Amino acid sequence: MRKEGSFDRVFSQNASTVSAELPSLDSEEEKSITEEKAAVMAEQWKTLQRIGCFFGILVVLAFVMNAIITSGLRRIKTSAFGASNQIMNGKVNAEIVVTGSSRALAHYDPRTIEQITGRTAFNLGRNGAQTDMQVAFLKAYLAYNRKPKVVVHNLDAFTFVTTREVYDPAKYAPYLYDRSLYNALREIDPNIWRSRYVPLYGYVVEDMNFSWILGLKGFWGWSPREDCFLGFNPRSKKWTDDFRHLKANNPGGVRFEIEAAGIEVMEDLIRVCQQNGIELIFVYSPEYIEMQALTKNRADIFEHFHELAERFDVPLWDYSSWKYAGNQDFFQNSQHLNATGAAVFSDDVANHLTAYFAAQSNAAGLRRFPAQGP
Amino acid sequence: MLFNSIAFAIFFPAVTAIFYLLSQRWRVHWLLAASCFFYMAFIPAYILILVVTILIDYVAGIYLERVQDPKKKKVLMWVSILSTCMVLFIFKYFDFFTGSFVGLAGIFGWHLPRPVISIILPIGLSFHTFQSLSYVVEVYRGRQKAERNFVVYATYVMFFPQLVAGPIERPQNLLHQFREWHAFHSTDVTSGLKRMAWGFFKKLVIADRLALYVNDVYSAPQNFNGLQVTMATLFFAYQIYCDFSGYSDIAIGAAQVLGFRLMENFKTPYYSLSISEFWQRWHISLSTWFRDYVYVPLGGNRVSKGQHIMNLLLTFSVSGLWHGANWTYVLWGLLNGLYLVTGRLTKDWRNRFYGSLGLHEHTLTRKAIMLSTTFVLTWMAWIVFRARSIGDAAYVFTHLATGWDFQHIATQQFLLRQLPVAAAAILALEIGQLLNSAVSVPSFVGKMPIAARWALYASFVMSVLMFGVYKQMQFIYFQF
Repeated sequence: MRKEGSFDRVFSQNASTVSAELPSLDSEEEKSITEEKAAVMAEQWKTLQRIGCFFGILVVLAFVMNAIITSGLRRIKTSAFGASNQIMNGKVNAEIVVTGSSRALAHYDPRTIEQITGRTAFNLGRNGAQTDMQVAFLKAYLAYNRKPKVVVHNLDAFTFVTTREVYDPAKYAPYLYDRSLYNALREIDPNIWRSRYVPLYGYVVEDMNFSWILGLKGFWGWSPREDCFLGFNPRSKKWTDDFRHLKANNPGGVRFEIEAAGIEVMEDLIRVCQQNGIELIFVYSPEYIEMQALTKNRADIFEHFHELAERFDVPLWDYSSWKYAGNQDFFQNSQHLNATGAAVFSDDVANHLTAYFAAQSNAAGLRRFPAQGP
Repeated sequence: MLFNSIAFAIFFPAVTAIFYLLSQRWRVHWLLAASCFFYMAFIPAYILILVVTILIDYVAGIYLERVQDPKKKKVLMWVSILSTCMVLFIFKYFDFFTGSFVGLAGIFGWHLPRPVISIILPIGLSFHTFQSLSYVVEVYRGRQKAERNFVVYATYVMFFPQLVAGPIERPQNLLHQFREWHAFHSTDVTSGLKRMAWGFFKKLVIADRLALYVNDVYSAPQNFNGLQVTMATLFFAYQIYCDFSGYSDIAIGAAQVLGFRLMENFKTPYYSLSISEFWQRWHISLSTWFRDYVYVPLGGNRVSKGQHIMNLLLTFSVSGLWHGANWTYVLWGLLNGLYLVTGRLTKDWRNRFYGSLGLHEHTLTRKAIMLSTTFVLTWMAWIVFRARSIGDAAYVFTHLATGWDFQHIATQQFLLRQLPVAAAAILALEIGQLLNSAVSVPSFVGKMPIAARWALYASFVMSVLMFGVYKQMQFIYFQF
């Protein structure tokens, strides 16, 4: 530790303190002290400048990196980013659009739907997205693409639960310039502005999946392996232990909230479709049969689905009793079909759509198509 | 306020800048105000607890110096120690001791109601309590003059870089520094910043990433296979080291930026060749505290062999209890005590054994065996430390080598893609430490041309930024 009274100490003190403490000195000594003091202060100033400069460089680097990553992610042509890029660049323009959560994402194969119905299709399903986020994404879709003729909205037991936190926020980070998407995200997370305005925040603070590496690679023209076919992400997995754990942890069953805000969001979805002249169809895609029994308030949830469908005259197709709903070979877990299940279900729903379109053209105005058991 | 928060990124430069602009007279006041602000960012009302302990020991210190009668002096010291410890007991140990007592009574058929005080443990309570206690004892022993300036004493207890997780300072090292003039020295500032960067690397890149895996597995080890349990345990050894030594690095670095010197708390403990050496290199400020204020007063090793063993076991059990109000911590302390006792009792036998194999003291093979043994023993002890209960610890012990499933390595929070990053970070840590033990890395880098040096620093900071985990995880030792 430096000792009091050393030159070092004296020269570094404020001028007023120094002058009060110094004994009287002759002019030569005073001059020499003043020079040394000036030298020390110059050195200190230089250090401060260097530190400031270094941190300045870091800030510039952060902005540059952020720009490269965002640009790279927007260039990707495959995977979930590829699908989002197609949507945000207005390159989808499908006639049938599927919206929903991860269940929609993993259940509806637009290729099968296109093949059977003869109409172009795209899957807008999002992992970890509740209805509020799903609607926001649909609005973003509508802002950049031609309006679809039909929106197939996939329902879940948790449809009326609003989003608590943004799942996988890095997936949205490159598109925060879109007002409706940004506003919807801000409703869920008021701190989302940081991802938009603070460089790298959206990619390194909010993301655990190193999406920024994808961005850097994307910037140099590399695209990841395709696992998103027209937005559809099949899950080539066998039945996992997830449901066994869920059952063990909830011996008394589970309940999903029916929030007033959740109902409002559904009404908003219907309104958006009606205002844009889009036909909306509600589909409750297959759910593992034991899970249906485990959901204690399932009847209440469905009562709300039916009430909404009747009030707004929206067809509701319920696949709860799907022919393979009790067969684990077709599921990954209680909520998600695996690739095999998705292939069979996509086939079923595409045929259902074809029949629906045919019935529509045969009898104009026929809206209530009978719910078809699997 | 956490070191790894945006708030601290604003707080620290502001405090530092104003500190250097102020005259000596106001600097300590400024540090105290900043420390209060820092502490109150957690739970503001808890500052009152600190005020109480500070007042007790401040007054006790002055009276300890005044009172001449040794008996009265001793009584005064004990009153001060017990009052300070009472705060610690109420907040940290009340539920534990009453719960244990009620549990014990239940074994004998007495079913007593269990009184519970459900209060959040004030952050860093054990640290500043111990720092206060060291002051009182040192004044009592006449090795430290009582501090008359309340602001200086309060700042000694509350100095924000080491307030919540140490190093637990001694008054002889820290107290006088608040009276000294700290000029703005570029070497101090830049060295301090580098030390902080290294601490952030340990905390954000290694500890917090590994924590994702460890937390998943140790929350319910029964749901994971042997490989996952083994990996989580190995990861925890690195997590706790990087978390705590990372905090110490940031604390020491931050203090250095302000011109203060704090004691070293870790000296690459996993490179120890024995458990005894490990405890000379792990959490040095705490182990020396226990040595000076518990082990030595008990008689240390200047007693009979049996008493010496008892002293060791007792000191380590209390040290375990210091870490947390749970029997797992006591068991962890006891286990380390047993390691030490066994090590001392078998020293001659082991020397003969190594000698018979031709492995003399300085041979590389012998060192490798000793280093590995020490690491494995420490690693095993961490299981007890990390497990939520003794039952969980037993489960982990019995499933380490069973049912390894290489198809299932990832957990919900820790996806497989994080494994290479975690492994590379650990490798970087080891290389960095090995290099630093051979040559002084900072001075080596300091000799490089400025462009290369800055490029290196910028790359390092950007790497920490890009590969860090920012889930606002608390430092493990905050809870102690």
